[in-house]
Amino acid sequence: MSAAETVHTIIDDLGALLLFTMILIVIASQISRAIYAVAAQSLFIAIAGGVLAMFTGNVDLWVIAGVTLAVKAIMLPWVLHWVVRRMNVRREVEPVIPDAATIVLAVAVVVMSFDLSTSLGTVRQAITGNALPVGIALTVLGVLVMATRKTALTQMVGLFASENGIFFTAMAVTQGMPLIIEIGVSLDVILAALVMTILVLRVRSTVDADIADLDRLRG
Amino acid sequence: MGETLLWILPLIPTVTALLMLTTRDRRIISAIDVGGSAILAVLTLVLASEVATGGPRVLGVFRLDDLGLVFLLLLVVLTLAVSIYTVGWFRQAVEVGNMKAESLRSYFALVHAFVATMVVTILADNLGVLWIAMEGTTITSAVLIGYHGHQHGLEAAWKYIIVTTIGISFGLFGTVLVYAAAADVMGGAGAMSWLAIMKIAPTLDPGIIRIGFIFVLVGYGAKAGLAPMHLWLPDAHSQAPTPVSALLSGILIKCALLAIIRFQTISAAACGSAFPTEALLVFGLISVVVATPFILVQHDIKRLLGYHSVEHVGIVALGLGFGGSVGTYGALLHVVNHGITKALAFFCAGAAIARYNSRDMRVIRGMFPVAPVAATLIMLAVLSLAGTPPFSIFVSELLVLRAGIGQGHWIAIAIFLAMVVVIFAGLLHHVGAMAFGAPTAAAGREGEAWSPLVGMLLLAAIMVVLGLTIPASFDGLLQRATEVVVG
Repeated sequence: MSAAETVHTIIDDLGALLLFTMILIVIASQISRAIYAVAAQSLFIAIAGGVLAMFTGNVDLWVIAGVTLAVKAIMLPWVLHWVVRRMNVRREVEPVIPDAATIVLAVAVVVMSFDLSTSLGTVRQAITGNALPVGIALTVLGVLVMATRKTALTQMVGLFASENGIFFTAMAVTQGMPLIIEIGVSLDVILAALVMTILVLRVRSTVDADIADLDRLRG
Repeated sequence: MGETLLWILPLIPTVTALLMLTTRDRRIISAIDVGGSAILAVLTLVLASEVATGGPRVLGVFRLDDLGLVFLLLLVVLTLAVSIYTVGWFRQAVEVGNMKAESLRSYFALVHAFVATMVVTILADNLGVLWIAMEGTTITSAVLIGYHGHQHGLEAAWKYIIVTTIGISFGLFGTVLVYAAAADVMGGAGAMSWLAIMKIAPTLDPGIIRIGFIFVLVGYGAKAGLAPMHLWLPDAHSQAPTPVSALLSGILIKCALLAIIRFQTISAAACGSAFPTEALLVFGLISVVVATPFILVQHDIKRLLGYHSVEHVGIVALGLGFGGSVGTYGALLHVVNHGITKALAFFCAGAAIARYNSRDMRVIRGMFPVAPVAATLIMLAVLSLAGTPPFSIFVSELLVLRAGIGQGHWIAIAIFLAMVVVIFAGLLHHVGAMAFGAPTAAAGREGEAWSPLVGMLLLAAIMVVLGLTIPASFDGLLQRATEVVVG
């Protein structure tokens, strides 16, 4: 087996693990499980970055993998856990629609992602393994989690999963976006998480409610 | 000189924001606020004259062409007007307790940080930098929307940050796809530069660009307030402090439109112009139709103006969708006209809300006797927003309509006209009752302060002038900007 084929196989395996963690996030009934799942997902993405870096000799990818590991696999999950403890969350993940319906939707998204990317032409050949459909599926499933969960923290987990999908796509499709852009994007994700955390805590301190539950603004 | 200005420009609001943090004195804060905005405006005018004579300026990831200049000019004019307006507005807000005196400086720092991110959005040639700056606008303005700190403001801020962050995640995904297609042709280096991509655009793989454009349109469309991704917009516009509402509606959603236009040009070159324009047409029509019923039943004046922005973003999308030079010219002119007029309308609404201490239009009655200038200006602004001649919005709506007729989009035109007529009636009904009649007991009787009025009159003057005539230099700018889009 040539080196390129080995890398394809590894990326495909990691893609499967990514989808598996995504499914864990979708079906998680406890917020802490969802946080662990998204941390694991980020770890797999960092590994994928390391594998591609080794294969291509692209130093930027090492940096990206390192940043992903530090920020998304360690720092953000830690912050989320801290908020969970701080808020003393009594309620867990509250789905808007039944879990079964969410899972059916999730499966449909995955199938459609693979279908969509097989219809792509020449650019597809430049892409490592099945990375593109996995990336599309993660991005859309992250949004699905945000749309079908009522608690703020779960929505944040969905957001991180969605960003993971984009990072994975960028890595596998183009060996990563230019380094400076990747770092800028990571910085934005950190800042967004910070602002969201502040909002969640402020609502918790003024009215004893989850910010995502507020629905007074209508019409 | 021009190149140097490109990196100085985003620094001005950044430095202004940092200076805010050094003082607590309200007078000094106001002076820095107006001063910073004025310097930004002057430097932009210098840069504008250089671009007009010497063509686009490039520096690293920044580039200013005529298209960006249209948006940049709108931004600096609105920033200046907002600064002048805020001088008097925040005094009143502190008095009634809407703003806390001790946290004022962070408010002003955030406003200028918000402006800085928008400047970068407009100047960005690199599509990745464009995205980073766009997320930056979300982060800074989300804090501003929830600034009052009450439950409704925080709810609006949360909805805003979630919806627009989902949105621009899609935008980033689309950007990655376009980058992948470009890197496939030209290699990774420079494949994020809009200029570089445009040079090779006809050779890009149309399949992947098509998917990329849809992701970008939905993503940045959420930020632009195109229906059905507009859910955050009425909440955010109604809950934000009034000067921030004016910036959100006047320029932020236009920055997202600029991003869409950048990708539209790439997509038009790669897969033919029919594909992106049809997509824009669909979203434009949905926006105009969805906004209408909410405008009719609205009681909250700021929500009314928010939904009305959805309609007008829809009209801009329609102009771009009808396409051709007439449609694009009309759309760009509409961006400017709507930005100026809507900011003015928010200013007047803010003055009325302060006077009556309510956002409910059933409470705000009889403004003419108690605040004649603000009442006159709000009538003028609303007549203009409704599309009455001789105001500026009438001109740009007419151009959009003409482009549609030229392209034979009869169904779209019929829907568009019907909605515009209904909204016309609805708006005049709402605001006529606010301006005329006997003032309710809630009305404050104090005189009108100069500071909000100067900001309002500045915008009103521009609005009236643009309705009567489009100055030759501005017309030239719009035509060159149109060429950038149409090719």
